[in-house]
Amino acid sequence: MTTLAESLNPSSSEQTLEKIERSAIDASARLPVLLFFGTAIFWLLIGSLLALVASFKMSIPGFLDNEAWLTFGRVRPAHMNTVIYGWASAAGIGVGLWLMARLCRVAMMHTSLLIVAAIFWNLGVLVGTLGILAGDSRSIEWLEFPGYSTPILFIAYAFIGIWGIIMFRFRRPGHVYVSQWYLLAAFLWFPWLYGTVNILLIWQPILGSAQGAVNWWYAHNVLGLWFTPIGLASAYYMIPKVIGRPIHSYYLSILGFWSLALFYSWNGMHHLIGGPFPAWMISASVVASIMMFIPVITVAINHHMTMKGHFGGLKWSPTLRFTVFGAMSYTVVSFQGSLMAIPTLNQITHFTHYTIGHSHLGLYAFFTMMMFGAMYYITPRLVGWEWPSANLIRWHFWLAAIGILVMVGALTLGGIIQGLALYDPAVNFMNSMHFASPFLWVRSISGLLLTAAHVIFAVHFVMMLLQMGSKRGEPTLFARPVLEEETLSV
Amino acid sequence: MSEDPNIPESEEFREDELSSEMNVAKVHGSIMREQADPRDGYEPISLWLITFSFALVFWAGMYLVGNSGGFSSEVFNANLVAWDGSGAAVDKGPPDPMVVGKRVYTQYCLVCHQSTGLGVAGQFPPLVDSEWVLAREWHGDNHVVKVVLNGLQGPITVKGNLYNNAMAPWGGVLKDEQVASVLTYIRNEWGNAAPPITAEFVALIREQNADRKEAWTQKELQAIPRAVIDASAPPAADEAPAADPAAPSQPPAATAAPGA
Amino acid sequence: MNRLPLLFLGIFLTFASAWAGLVAYPYLKLGQLLPITNEETGELAPPPLSGIADAGQDVYAANGCLYCHSQQVRPAYLSTDIAKGLGPRRTVARDYIRSRPAFLGTMRTGPDLTNVGLRYSAEWQHRHLYEPGEVSKGSIMPAFRYLYIMQKIEGAPNADALKDLTGPHAPKPGYEVVPTEDAKALVAYLLSLKRNYPLPESPEEALE
Repeated sequence: MTTLAESLNPSSSEQTLEKIERSAIDASARLPVLLFFGTAIFWLLIGSLLALVASFKMSIPGFLDNEAWLTFGRVRPAHMNTVIYGWASAAGIGVGLWLMARLCRVAMMHTSLLIVAAIFWNLGVLVGTLGILAGDSRSIEWLEFPGYSTPILFIAYAFIGIWGIIMFRFRRPGHVYVSQWYLLAAFLWFPWLYGTVNILLIWQPILGSAQGAVNWWYAHNVLGLWFTPIGLASAYYMIPKVIGRPIHSYYLSILGFWSLALFYSWNGMHHLIGGPFPAWMISASVVASIMMFIPVITVAINHHMTMKGHFGGLKWSPTLRFTVFGAMSYTVVSFQGSLMAIPTLNQITHFTHYTIGHSHLGLYAFFTMMMFGAMYYITPRLVGWEWPSANLIRWHFWLAAIGILVMVGALTLGGIIQGLALYDPAVNFMNSMHFASPFLWVRSISGLLLTAAHVIFAVHFVMMLLQMGSKRGEPTLFARPVLEEETLSV
Repeated sequence: MSEDPNIPESEEFREDELSSEMNVAKVHGSIMREQADPRDGYEPISLWLITFSFALVFWAGMYLVGNSGGFSSEVFNANLVAWDGSGAAVDKGPPDPMVVGKRVYTQYCLVCHQSTGLGVAGQFPPLVDSEWVLAREWHGDNHVVKVVLNGLQGPITVKGNLYNNAMAPWGGVLKDEQVASVLTYIRNEWGNAAPPITAEFVALIREQNADRKEAWTQKELQAIPRAVIDASAPPAADEAPAADPAAPSQPPAATAAPGA
Repeated sequence: MNRLPLLFLGIFLTFASAWAGLVAYPYLKLGQLLPITNEETGELAPPPLSGIADAGQDVYAANGCLYCHSQQVRPAYLSTDIAKGLGPRRTVARDYIRSRPAFLGTMRTGPDLTNVGLRYSAEWQHRHLYEPGEVSKGSIMPAFRYLYIMQKIEGAPNADALKDLTGPHAPKPGYEVVPTEDAKALVAYLLSLKRNYPLPESPEEALE
């Protein structure tokens, strides 16, 4: 071949071939994945700003209350949709496509179409967000983008999903790794979810409380069948990759995957316990929510036993630190979710800030931190540069970790107090609100920490794209890695 | 290598990267040091996990059968249909008006009249020691029932102070038992003491005023002729000419005397 | 687990099971419900919304009232909603067939609104929307002053003008605050929220 091969050790060993292949895959993935990452970070900043506005409004009702487009009832869904579709989905798509390409060992072809899809995806998010602020939302939770913007997202996704599936179809023959199952499933499940709900809630809306059932089937499954599989796929890749160990048990992987597929999708009605639905639907969701202990414990054992003896990696690897934080949060948030579905406990927590704490534990402490970890790993391979500053990564991690723990703690405690007050018929409603108000202040302040973390990450990412800082031959780590029998890897 | 279609030819690599030797080393640096791709280990699943999973499945079946109301689309309360198909009915006896009344008060009245019953100076009149609440003769009692059923508007003097606000009608919201309970409650809380009001009395007043659409005013209430049945009761807010006790459609003294 | 057809089948079937139970079933069983006629009064349950109240649903949706206010009364064996007076009975599927969409809500930052039409007058609703903090002290509800117009009084005061406004945004002498069509529609919708008509599938429960 040409100079490329000759610049390396000219032996044609398996390892060298693999590395050349990875290099080619990364090169093919560079533009689309970086585009998804970059735009995702942009929406993360916008979403964080909207979150701050919404959060402070709950403590200071007069804050920015003169304009229709800034009213709480519009800013709050704008925040949710920008972080769900603009940040989390886009980051997930970028990470998912790269993981799928690497694991299938195929380079991405015709990536210009993927780039067009990325542009359309972002256009859809932009139009949708402006539509919500303009007053065109139908207040369907997790689906507030008006009907003129959702088809843009759907069509953009069509390309993205097809890419993912085609990559799988044309993968290198051989053993299929667990992350590939999760990614394939996610790429298939999302369009089925999004298509169904667009038809039944936006285009030809069904009547009555049936909407609630479809709405929360959708919202919960975006968490469980789109974000969770991508997050777990990333954890299953990054953990063994960084520490250089095999996953503990293939059988646990199988059990975890199929039990998740079977049970998670039935959970939706646990958002509506006590609601206007036939009793069996609620009971089915309560049962499915408890059954979730099986996949969650399975995955936790698998990850933990893989990491066992290698927790020292958390000291030096940014990727591992964010990923393990995310994986542990996944276990915690899922246990919490299962317990929240028990009707006796749900009586207290339903309709309170506790639910918001839970959702942020899931979408941020689990998924967002997981994505940060993956992006810290993937970006150097796409840009051909190392992260300029370990300190910026350090600040990012601690601000984010402390911020989210404080936020979840405040909302959990505040929610319980609010819920107990709401439960007691002798307590006036206004008191339930007042008891919770100090916790809402703490939440707003923790939001400032998170926003600072995001600004740091955004700045650092731009520095990467511009290849600022000095050239390095080593990965950017927190500390000197303690070498075990393997060579270091980031 | 070059026969493999998945690996692009080297010309597809960016020129600027290949042109710089330093950059070539770095493009491959991160890839050169990577570990091998993740692979699977084959540890068996622990017996504990398998046992736990089966136990959970067993519980799930039991819960579903017991809480699904027969899997019907018309059964919304799972507790109404037991697993063997029988319904559940529990008789708890007659509710205590002070308990029920306090609940109703907390939900509807407390917003204005406050949890202390003292109201808000200049805005909402107090209920504590109020002549309107404590009045016992026929018209006094049914004044307070009328006000709750139809509302009150315009100026009203309570304990020598003037208030001018609007009280919403609650007749369409509260049932007779609830009106009776909350009135019994305010007449016996905060140091007040007066006989309870019964649901039957409330029903009577409601029936007599079925055509009434607007809220009452103090003037109108005081203009209604009244009959004194208990001379020891505190005086009503404004003395109105005593009129024919036969004016109300029912005999005032015995059967219409509320409570006791 | 190495073959695409097998994986696809499993991914599809697991998804389809929940789709059947949580999407297709409600669509068929709950999505086709019709109002029933009350035998005693001859009225439809739930009653139809007037044109302006129906338009109010769009205002409710556009301004995100649902993010703080729920609209569901839970049963007595699962909650204290009925004991708190949120409604005489729990709500069921048929209660929402006129809602576009069903504003069930998942937060009670503000009170539940299932039967708010039974509790407050139109005048109260307008004053509360204009300046919640004046009507309900300590409330964190945002003000919806943008649904109202502050205008100079031309000749006679407008019949719709809000009365007895207090607080920092009360109109100066010579000015009045008049609701826009959106405000009137929203209030008409809120007044229509009365789910106290009887339904056979939701018997009234004892007060205790």
